[in-house]
Amino acid sequence: MTLAELQARFQAGVLAGHEDGASILESVKNSRRADRTTLFGVYVNAYRLRFVEFLVADYPALRALLGEEAFQALADAYIDAEPSRKRNARWYTSRLPDFMRGDEAWRGNARAIDLALFERALTDSFDAADAESLRLDALAAFAPDDWPSLVFGFHPSLILLELSAGTTATHTAAVEGAELPEPSAGAEHVAVWRADLDSVYRALEPDEFLALSLALDGHAFGDICQMAAFRDESEASPERIAQLLTGWFEEGLVASAGVRGEKGE
Amino acid sequence: MTRPAPLGFGLGLRPIYYEEIISTHPPVDWFEIISENYMTGGGRPTAMLERVRADYPIVMHGVAMSLASTDPLDVDYLRELKALAERVEPAWVSDHLAWTGVHGISLHDLLPIPYTRESLDHVAERVMRAQDFLGRRLVVENASTYVTFRESEMSEWDFLAELTRRADCQLLLDVNNVVVSGFNHGFDANVFIDAIPVERVVQFHMAGHTDNGTHRIDTHDQPVCEDVFALYERAWRRFGPVSTMIERDDNFPPFDELLSELARLREIAARADAEGKRSEAA
Ligand SMILES: [Fe+2]
Repeated sequence: MTLAELQARFQAGVLAGHEDGASILESVKNSRRADRTTLFGVYVNAYRLRFVEFLVADYPALRALLGEEAFQALADAYIDAEPSRKRNARWYTSRLPDFMRGDEAWRGNARAIDLALFERALTDSFDAADAESLRLDALAAFAPDDWPSLVFGFHPSLILLELSAGTTATHTAAVEGAELPEPSAGAEHVAVWRADLDSVYRALEPDEFLALSLALDGHAFGDICQMAAFRDESEASPERIAQLLTGWFEEGLVASAGVRGEKGE
Repeated sequence: MTRPAPLGFGLGLRPIYYEEIISTHPPVDWFEIISENYMTGGGRPTAMLERVRADYPIVMHGVAMSLASTDPLDVDYLRELKALAERVEPAWVSDHLAWTGVHGISLHDLLPIPYTRESLDHVAERVMRAQDFLGRRLVVENASTYVTFRESEMSEWDFLAELTRRADCQLLLDVNNVVVSGFNHGFDANVFIDAIPVERVVQFHMAGHTDNGTHRIDTHDQPVCEDVFALYERAWRRFGPVSTMIERDDNFPPFDELLSELARLREIAARADAEGKRSEAA
């Protein structure tokens, strides 16, 4: 048997999740103390345990929400459906919320999906790329006429989420081991980013969520004001947007600013 | 061939110990990182590594190069690894004699190979290509394994020894893995140690494992056990002063416990050195 064939059989046996009947066993010897099925089974068992551990580490609140049994069922379904195609194990857990959204058994559970989305954002922002934050006084370099054309670059750790109301409260209760709140109707908007080397988050009013989403998409300051007004965010006056912008600077969210169409934006 | 100067007695850099290492500056000679943990982006891992690196030599240890896989070498991975090495300036870069998956899939485990001439040709060629790409000599570690393949044509130690000659690579000898594999496959760990070419070994790994009765599992979550200490003494006598570190990956004890284990390794090495000198003088 070639090395390639042996590896294909070995991997198929591990992915199948059970050692009995694996074709690789034809190549494995019994040891003095243990039979080959037990020995190959070490790899099969370790595979499942390791992948469940990855999920447990990245989705502790989801586990608290679902309970041990349902979380294990979700982990099993995900592991069966999606073997890792990433070289670095760090990224294996990233697709769990997407899997839940597409899976028959989970797609109706918005509360669980949104909690998973929130936990994924916390994980992603924790080790996202570094960037210097831009200080607010850097804006003094721009002439007032340029303001409507200003576009901003944001810290790579910044992630915006629109979630079912109560998602962050559920998360807080879960990590503190407290009783979980009842599910509530409606939506909540959240910004997740990294500050002092830890993931942090804050609730956003709908108008701020809209303005920050537009800014993150690369729209210029003037356009954001107009679009916000157009979408009937009556609060969204240029003054309000400018005030929000100041807040983003103060929180270290802004990494660059430039005039649209000019070099260095 | 010259071996890099020994770094002394080190530990694995693990997130749970970041604060303690940075604030107390413990008497550890060097740290080993798991390369992949710093191949993400930025934030705390990178910032902590920068601070530790300012005070201690660093060695990079990877788990994902998949040197023995029959999939194509992952050039994107090697490129990222090389970028990390340029930033970290490690004393050396290591990975395992193992594969992690085929067909684009990773099982995120160090999987065993049959010790055949075909495997040897294949792995030697990949080690050479990885070395060319990284622009440095690779250090290859013996993994713990649980199965023996019927296809094998030679022993693990002959395979490793020949690999170092063909690929001109170096070795990270995991003493615990020799004990674990020796038990599982019924070979004498001393025979393994005695067959490895002295000039190729640049690092020792020490760790604990779990004894399941019929087989032992390399869990890295226990203190170093007595037969691993004993084999370490033999290895030290054979290979001379070699950079030694303890790999603890789970069930983390207070940092002091790791320092005590490290102190015991220093004692074993010092005793072996003293006895070596006495017998030379005699
Ligand atoms: Fe090791």
